[in-house]
Amino acid sequence: MKKIIGHMSIALLLFASNACTESDNYDAPSDTITGMVMDKNTGNSLQTEIGDNGIRLKLMEYSWSQTPTPYYFAGMQNGTFNNTRIFRGNYGIEIMGAFVPQPEIRYDVKGTLELKIEVEPFLNIEWIGEPIINKDSTISIQAYIERGTKNADYQQNISDVRLFVVAGAQHIGENNKDDRYSLYIDGGDANAMLEQTITLSTRGKLLPGRSYHIRVGARMDKEIDGRRRYNYNAPKIVTMP
Amino acid sequence: MKLSKYIISKHPVSKWVLLLTFALSVPSCMDLDIPPINVVQDSDVFTSENGIKGYLSGMYSQMHIEDFRYTHSRGFNNSWAFQSTFGMTGEALNRDIDGAAKEEESDIWKNAYKLIRETNYFIETLPSYAANFSTDQVKTWMGEAHFTRAMTYHALAKRYGGVPIVESVLKYPDMPIEEMKIPRSSEQAVYELIEKDFDEAWKLLPETSQKGRANKYAAAAFKSRAMLFAGSIAKYNEVDKKNNTDSNVRVCGLPRELAKEYFKKSYDAALLIEGKYSLYKDGWKANDKAAQYQNYVDMFFAENSSENIFVRQYSYPESVHGFDAYNIPRQYQTNGWTASTNPTLNFVELFDGFPKNEQGLTDVLNADGKYALYNSTMEFFKDAEPRLRAIIILPGDILKGEEVEIWRGLYIGNTSDGISLLQTDKDPSQKYENDSNCKDLIKSSQNAGNQTVYELPNGNKMNAAGKSGPFFDDQTGAMAGFAIRKWINPKMPAADVKERYSTQTWIEMRYAEVLLNRAEAAFELHEEGIADIDFLQDAYLSINHIRERAGANMLSNKNELKKEMVRKERRKELSFENKAWWDMRRWRTAHLEQNSTRYRALFPFYAVEANKWFFDARPDETNKRFTFDERWYYKGIPNDEITKNELTQNPGY
Repeated sequence: MKKIIGHMSIALLLFASNACTESDNYDAPSDTITGMVMDKNTGNSLQTEIGDNGIRLKLMEYSWSQTPTPYYFAGMQNGTFNNTRIFRGNYGIEIMGAFVPQPEIRYDVKGTLELKIEVEPFLNIEWIGEPIINKDSTISIQAYIERGTKNADYQQNISDVRLFVVAGAQHIGENNKDDRYSLYIDGGDANAMLEQTITLSTRGKLLPGRSYHIRVGARMDKEIDGRRRYNYNAPKIVTMP
Repeated sequence: MKLSKYIISKHPVSKWVLLLTFALSVPSCMDLDIPPINVVQDSDVFTSENGIKGYLSGMYSQMHIEDFRYTHSRGFNNSWAFQSTFGMTGEALNRDIDGAAKEEESDIWKNAYKLIRETNYFIETLPSYAANFSTDQVKTWMGEAHFTRAMTYHALAKRYGGVPIVESVLKYPDMPIEEMKIPRSSEQAVYELIEKDFDEAWKLLPETSQKGRANKYAAAAFKSRAMLFAGSIAKYNEVDKKNNTDSNVRVCGLPRELAKEYFKKSYDAALLIEGKYSLYKDGWKANDKAAQYQNYVDMFFAENSSENIFVRQYSYPESVHGFDAYNIPRQYQTNGWTASTNPTLNFVELFDGFPKNEQGLTDVLNADGKYALYNSTMEFFKDAEPRLRAIIILPGDILKGEEVEIWRGLYIGNTSDGISLLQTDKDPSQKYENDSNCKDLIKSSQNAGNQTVYELPNGNKMNAAGKSGPFFDDQTGAMAGFAIRKWINPKMPAADVKERYSTQTWIEMRYAEVLLNRAEAAFELHEEGIADIDFLQDAYLSINHIRERAGANMLSNKNELKKEMVRKERRKELSFENKAWWDMRRWRTAHLEQNSTRYRALFPFYAVEANKWFFDARPDETNKRFTFDERWYYKGIPNDEITKNELTQNPGY
């Protein structure tokens, strides 16, 4: 009886282990597309926000079909992007963001594809001086907004200028902001800020001892891939006394 | 015979064998190749009037009418509809809709194509059974099918733009799958189909119909709506998206130069209804605000209103909704639901008849910067437009014979020098209770079940908040200081105000909309420089027609009329009817209106010492912020449809 049980267990084990050996037909994707979007005017990477509203890469894999379903992925706040799970193949890549659109370019992805894309942003926003902490627990900053391109198709009015404030998060922008403190300016007031040294102050009372990330964002009345995207300056951290 | 005799006589058992042989051979002669009897066949449906009516009522009930049972979160025909679109358009605040306004979460795609298939099947099958019916019957039914198809394609087009056009029944599995992969047509082609189907319906349908079913004027009215939509897209849309596989097919957007044609079609369709339907004025009297108010309230419940062109009816218990339960003010609450729709001050400010400053904002102050004082909350609104009173419940107004108590708190500070602004921040995000400037000057109530009772100088006791709120720590009160009256059944007994108990009729198309379509189309034609008719004059007359019934201030001549006024009139008249969301979209103004926008509230306070009332206008206390994502001008095509059918996705998804 023991023998039978033993034989049966072995048989069962054999079945069980057999099931584990079956593998998928394909290897997992392991190739990489990495790189940065570079601001032609400053030579630095483009300041933007994380997610679909910042830099959006559209991949069309032409290895199998001339009309593939597009695959999208998004870039990071500092204008870089990195995707290490790409299938090997031939891709048309189009990068979209708050800059003069670029045509789709074909690449073969085999191993690591490193891209450095030079773009003309719609707007360039520069810090002027350092943020000042006011007595009423607000922060004032100065900035200068100018057009980043001379392309006649991208000279729309500025629709929004915003001073974004958020506490304790490195990601800041239209995607992550504290409505109690951030300042929103739109319409004609926003457009009047072009090519001026502007002074903006946070709203409400910031809390003592806290560190806040702040930055300025501005956008024009121009949609890229369904969104009017912001251009930004680099975030600064201000600690309240 | 001989043989059988022989067998029967010789072998007794064999007679049973013979019998069995006969018994088994008889059924084999019957035809076994019959249609399955558990599936309803064409011959069951298309041979009797009741069969056809059953088929049609299925089509009507699936039609995409944004009624009492429609929400962005749960789609169509779901009675759990407390998150109505009103809470997303700025018409009202809803505690169950946060500031991050969302695109319609449910997809109509599958259900719409199912309905299109059923409609196509009906159109293809009915003619072969036409001999069973009179010509008029067949004409009417075919007209209703075309009407349904046009409605369904418009429901798709206003969401997705150009969609695959299917005008015949696809036969699966007889047809190869490749032939059934139909790409998206241009938005223009879809609107051409919509127009064609409405025109066909107009030709086929009779002048009158059973309530809830379409007649020819319904076809014309909805055509005027659809063509106005198309004209607006042609004029205001900026998205230009071509089909992935054919760059001649523009799946998003209509040619700018077609705008005037669409507006003209909308205008002409609206004209067809003139004289056939009219604004409901059964109880209306000139210069009598009370009668005008009552007439406007009654309009939504009148049995045979001359205004109703297309309605959807309900009946208890099989087809019901819960509008009363979800929206009844807090003091009438019976089973847990209340006050989902809280009209904003932004909405109230569209109307005339109460103090406003030069910017058109509600003025609650005297010239000296102190609050203006009133003897009652209703005194502030004593000259309000009757229509405003009929659409919303103003603080202190009457519902079901009872005063609706709405006040935010009591002011217990000194009033001898007047009352200064409670909050000094012009754009406060703190509640009064947390604002060091005023927290000691007011008394408020935490929630409805826990009222703060305050003893007045004369010894009487008073609740710190009205019975219908607003409360400091609970959002079941009037969050923005107002409640909704439109659609609330004034005759429903208090105890019946429960979920799935309401049966009042939804009016999807009424003559007021036809007039507003006509006015807008006419104004756009005027703006486009078309002058064969005095379109400006026509728009002006239509708007004044609406305003007269509403008891609003009249325009004195056509040159006063501006596009903004035409649009504003529409937002007032068709408020809380699930129309504003689409208007904001087709005008392409939603992203401007909702750009980190906080809507405003008007809160009454009772000044104890002065025994007077004052009002404070401020941004919504729950700090909801609304931002319209511009991608939503075209909704994303469902991903499974893209995969199955290799469709082109809309921009940004």
